[in-house]
Amino acid sequence: MLTKYRCYLLALLSSVVFSANGKTNHINEVKLSFIGDKDSQAFMGLKQGIDEANAQGLFLGQHYLLTKLTNSSTAIFTTVNAKHIAELSKAYPNNVIFNLTAEDNDLRSDCLPNVLHMTPSQAMKEDAENQWHKKYTNSLVKAQTWHYTFKKYAAGQLNSRFTRSTNYKMTDTAWAGWASVKLLSDSIARNEFTDTTSILKFLKSDLAFDGQKGMSLSFRETGQLRQPLLLIDNEKIAGEAPVRGVVNTTNLDSLGLTHCPK
Amino acid sequence: MKLTSAAILLAALFTQTILAQSTGRVFVTNERSNTVSVINGTTHQVEATIAIGERPRGIGISPDGSEVYVAISEENKIAVFDPKSLKKLRTFNAGDDPEAFAVHPNGNIYISNEDSAKGTVINPRTGVIVAEIPVGIEPEGVAISPDGTRVIITSESTNMLHVIAVPEHKIVANILVGARPRAATFTHDGKFSYATAEIGGEVIKVEMATGKIVQRISLGDDKAKPKDILLSKDGKHLYVAGGRLNQVMVLDSDSLALIKGIPVGKRVWGLAMSKDGERIYSSNGVSSDVSIINTVNNTVIATTKVGKFPWGIVIDD
Repeated sequence: MLTKYRCYLLALLSSVVFSANGKTNHINEVKLSFIGDKDSQAFMGLKQGIDEANAQGLFLGQHYLLTKLTNSSTAIFTTVNAKHIAELSKAYPNNVIFNLTAEDNDLRSDCLPNVLHMTPSQAMKEDAENQWHKKYTNSLVKAQTWHYTFKKYAAGQLNSRFTRSTNYKMTDTAWAGWASVKLLSDSIARNEFTDTTSILKFLKSDLAFDGQKGMSLSFRETGQLRQPLLLIDNEKIAGEAPVRGVVNTTNLDSLGLTHCPK
Repeated sequence: MKLTSAAILLAALFTQTILAQSTGRVFVTNERSNTVSVINGTTHQVEATIAIGERPRGIGISPDGSEVYVAISEENKIAVFDPKSLKKLRTFNAGDDPEAFAVHPNGNIYISNEDSAKGTVINPRTGVIVAEIPVGIEPEGVAISPDGTRVIITSESTNMLHVIAVPEHKIVANILVGARPRAATFTHDGKFSYATAEIGGEVIKVEMATGKIVQRISLGDDKAKPKDILLSKDGKHLYVAGGRLNQVMVLDSDSLALIKGIPVGKRVWGLAMSKDGERIYSSNGVSSDVSIINTVNNTVIATTKVGKFPWGIVIDD
């Protein structure tokens, strides 16, 4: 499947020109590409993110466009499995690749330089559940990225925006799709990037992203998004991880692998 | 001669009618109790509680002090009550999910409609919508310049300060700031504004003429989720509600350096300052109380229990 896209290798982002007061010199088009299941929640979330990026773009002269993977694509968003993500990473070393669905731990410890994992790894989820069980020994919960009943930190606003435009409840992978575009468009809005290498460098080292989960989110050197998780018991939110009283609630690195293996 | 005295008498009567004698009361909206707590400005005791409507948040007072406005978010309305009699006078429509607002010196209300990404300008006497201004996603804080020519609406998800010209009601600048900007305020001369970014944990200073950020500071504590922001009467200090840091932070208005953290109740959000600048009131959402700060030595002089999740504060002084 990958050779088909091999010819569109080069990815360059045209320069973003705007002054601090928001007066734009020209409309900058940012092309985004998706590889995977277009009936997925992840794709729905991605489209929600693009709509919102364009709402912001109206004030800044930026327009985000979903296109076939071409030489002017800025980022690739994908729902393919771990094996295909590794192939994508090799075939498109100059593109920023967002993994929206694969939870494999090995995909994190592989430390693929251009892949960013929006979805938490299995290890992160297990750590979150274990923290909860240390405090509440009899309560079984399942760790999730997101929940449609989540209201705090303006999560309720995001849930209602998503449901208003899609008629679906927002799931974990829908959040991952939404958040991937949001963090990319927030970063492009703030910086005059000239290529995808500088975008990737910024995302991996300087990101402070509001994912409507109450904390500033950033990426680990493994490419994994640091994020709090929700603990769900019978379709109800029982709590949040890092779990208060077990670890420091701001210690997002208490969940999952934090560094690349030496 | 006779005519002149009559004219003076009339003028005096007229002035008195316009500038209603203030009650000195402090009004606090309680988001989860659906009430407004009425605090006596001298004794610091709650002297009455008004059932106001569902999910009261933003609160403001008319320039002449005759009416208090409360955004009742769940009902998509603004409720009006008399600060003297404490009687509810009327309600009017305020668009989808009205949250924070500010009252313009000309009496109009500028309100953010969180769910529909716009600002709405309403004449509260008639309930008529004067203008609607499309802004970014999740608009929140509203600030009006002292001369009334500029309004700032912050959009939390779009991370911007939208600067709106009055009376044209056109956006003249969009300023990108840190993640989740929640509140803003102007310097007394209107040349600069300050804003808080809740998730970014930042306070920024913006030069209004250029729309450029001239100073920014990270509060440096993961728990510091800044919300409301006020400038002291002498213009030297900023007071910032520190959220889960449970402090009102005092910053130098020039360098934005932290001077002092004043411990208050839990999850402090709302702030209001008395006209003489000597008192600051903070609403502490999780501990359901209001802290009263003496700004001369920046210490808490009293703590008053109010309803659940106190949100906004206004002073009739």
